[in-house]
Amino acid sequence: MGEAVGTAELRESFREVLDDIVAAGCVRRHVDEGASRCAPLWTKAAELGWFALLTPESHGGLGLPRAAAAALYEELGRAAAPLPIAAALAATEIVSAFGSQAQQAQWLSRLAGGDAAAFSASGPALDDASLRLANAALFGETGDLLDGVEAALLLAPVRDGENLRWALIDAADLSMQRIALVDRTRSLARARLDGAPASVFSADAHAIARKLRIHMSIALACDSIGGAREVLAFTIAYLKTREQFGKPIGSFQALKHRCAEHLVAIEAASALLGEAVSRWERDDIEAELYALLIKAQACDVYAAVAEDAVQLHGGIGFTWEHMCHVYLKRAKLNQVLFGASAAYHDAAARLLAA
Amino acid sequence: MTAKGKSESRTFAPLAHRDDLDAFRNEVRNWLGAVVPEGWFARSAGAPEADYLAFQRWWLGEMQKVGLATPHWPKDWGGEDLSLRHQVIVSEEMVRAGAPNPDLYVVSLYHLPATLFAHGAPAQRERYLKGVVERGEIWCQGFSEPNAGSDLAALRTRAERRGDVFVVNGQKVWSSFAAHANYCLLLARTDPNAPKKQAGISYFILDMKSPGVTVRRIKQMTGQSEFCELFFDDVEIPGENLIGAENAGWAIAQSTLSAERGLIIFDLAERMHAAFVREIAAVRAAAPAWWADAALRRTFVTHYGELQSLRLLIRRMLSELDENPEMGASALPPLIKIKWSELLRRHTDFWLAVGGLNAQEDAPPLTGGGHITGNRMQDFMSSYAWTIAGGANEIIKTLIAERTLGLPR
Repeated sequence: MGEAVGTAELRESFREVLDDIVAAGCVRRHVDEGASRCAPLWTKAAELGWFALLTPESHGGLGLPRAAAAALYEELGRAAAPLPIAAALAATEIVSAFGSQAQQAQWLSRLAGGDAAAFSASGPALDDASLRLANAALFGETGDLLDGVEAALLLAPVRDGENLRWALIDAADLSMQRIALVDRTRSLARARLDGAPASVFSADAHAIARKLRIHMSIALACDSIGGAREVLAFTIAYLKTREQFGKPIGSFQALKHRCAEHLVAIEAASALLGEAVSRWERDDIEAELYALLIKAQACDVYAAVAEDAVQLHGGIGFTWEHMCHVYLKRAKLNQVLFGASAAYHDAAARLLAA
Repeated sequence: MTAKGKSESRTFAPLAHRDDLDAFRNEVRNWLGAVVPEGWFARSAGAPEADYLAFQRWWLGEMQKVGLATPHWPKDWGGEDLSLRHQVIVSEEMVRAGAPNPDLYVVSLYHLPATLFAHGAPAQRERYLKGVVERGEIWCQGFSEPNAGSDLAALRTRAERRGDVFVVNGQKVWSSFAAHANYCLLLARTDPNAPKKQAGISYFILDMKSPGVTVRRIKQMTGQSEFCELFFDDVEIPGENLIGAENAGWAIAQSTLSAERGLIIFDLAERMHAAFVREIAAVRAAAPAWWADAALRRTFVTHYGELQSLRLLIRRMLSELDENPEMGASALPPLIKIKWSELLRRHTDFWLAVGGLNAQEDAPPLTGGGHITGNRMQDFMSSYAWTIAGGANEIIKTLIAERTLGLPR
């Protein structure tokens, strides 16, 4: 059950870097200022090769197993880090697996160097493909794109006559409208395309959508478990020190029981996440089912812990100054990003019944 | 119901294949395929108690014939020193085959050996472990009392030393299958003046035929009477039946309980998984009406995901147990108890929602079939056994908060 040695060491190195970033006040400042890009973190991540984790070695990447990305996502979640990297790594996977030589040559090294990617935040569903392809040019409006303003590359489903295709679009050809989110560690964007050039994948659109969905489901589940563990840890620390009625409030049974329940839920979800990552890594036949199940379970567990953390902190938890709200907002966004839990349960039900 | 196997064309020897896990699994599967009676499950519903007892005895005997009743025991005591990986395979195959659980022998097969291997005197092991292996002796536990449930250490049943014997007076409750038991693992107070209530408790072997022992059945809300009350009126226990040192019983009882519970939950969680697999197969064949109800379907899938979480947690516990049989360091058993019992409650309630009015019709209960027997209301009511027994969940949660999370007392 234990993590492979290489992955455990990598996780440790991610954590050290992120601890430094958090200690330097970068996350806090980013949230306070509502900035679009957390430059110190992004620069550091690019320098350290985080964007190149999954890039094949033949394209100058590290070619690491997917478990490395999973460990990174969990540590980013723990730090509530404003780094739009999951979509970039997912796009790297798609371009590596399905791209032509030209597409790979054009994008893989850019993505590996830290040029982020974006795709629809409402879910890589195919039926909401809103862009039309005509003469190798795209027309229409994109949906909500996660971290779109930061992205150099847009990956989108497009209608080519009767056919559905996935296309790569250079964000330099677009003008993105930023939509600020309550969760300031991420943002959305929209763009109107009026003849932007597109480079279309020949591969089956469903196969691409499926791969993207698995990747982003696991990314969000990792983020959620990392965040949930951190929230529970700082909440427990507070309950041990905050005194009322002459004793630490953590000695009150009503509070203890809720903390124990959160721990049970986190450990249970974490066990399922480990299995989902392992199945994803070996392209197991049930990788998609496990990804769907854990996206819903982990995001719901995170939301429950983050919601309760505010209550357990009392007044201080309601302030801007405290970190509770940063995690609460991230948790509530995770719950609906790429679709809400009900949609994931429905999708899992379809797989089970198939 | 007659406890009768199918005709056996050959003898089975899974243990001859213990060095090859696949071959071992295969032989266990062949054995189960030949021995588990077709339709025992349906015939058990509402069967008279005598039939249930005969069936349980027959099943223990069948397991013994192939060495799989006590495979986890050391060889010196009639066991097979079988590794945890082998045990997991046996359990998985039993579930796959829909084989009965030896419910009647849970204390005999798990709690008694765990206690005696760690703390028993050689003569106690010789006499009582062999009694289980050779004579199928049934054991019960005498722990809880009317005023010592979650606060077990408050127990008041008194054992007074008088020369070579201890004289016991008091009352026990919630003792499973005590009406059929030959022996009882008894906790009683030997030092009422100890500085801490935990410090004055001793652990005994009690012969249920001793003069002064009265057993009274408790009719449960399910209509069954698995639990009993025990009354002791000047019952004499020979001094040699003290387990471990006098006044050291509390620690002994604590050390042998949680890991055993983990193994039992493993089996039950696998049975719940098997029930899910059957339901999914039914949906694939012809979706039942409830599958069209989005809320029910989503609940089903949510529970399926939670069950997978639980099974993975249990496997993690088992691998910890393999490395460290004492389980002293593991934080997992109480988490698993909470997760299992709460999921069981919600999932049995889910089936009540699916079943509607039909599930409320009185139907004969089914003993020995796990917790997803298809008798929905009975399954739901039985789930309380897991949220209350073995330390009510509220007590366990306090324990998790204090021991694992380090919150102050």
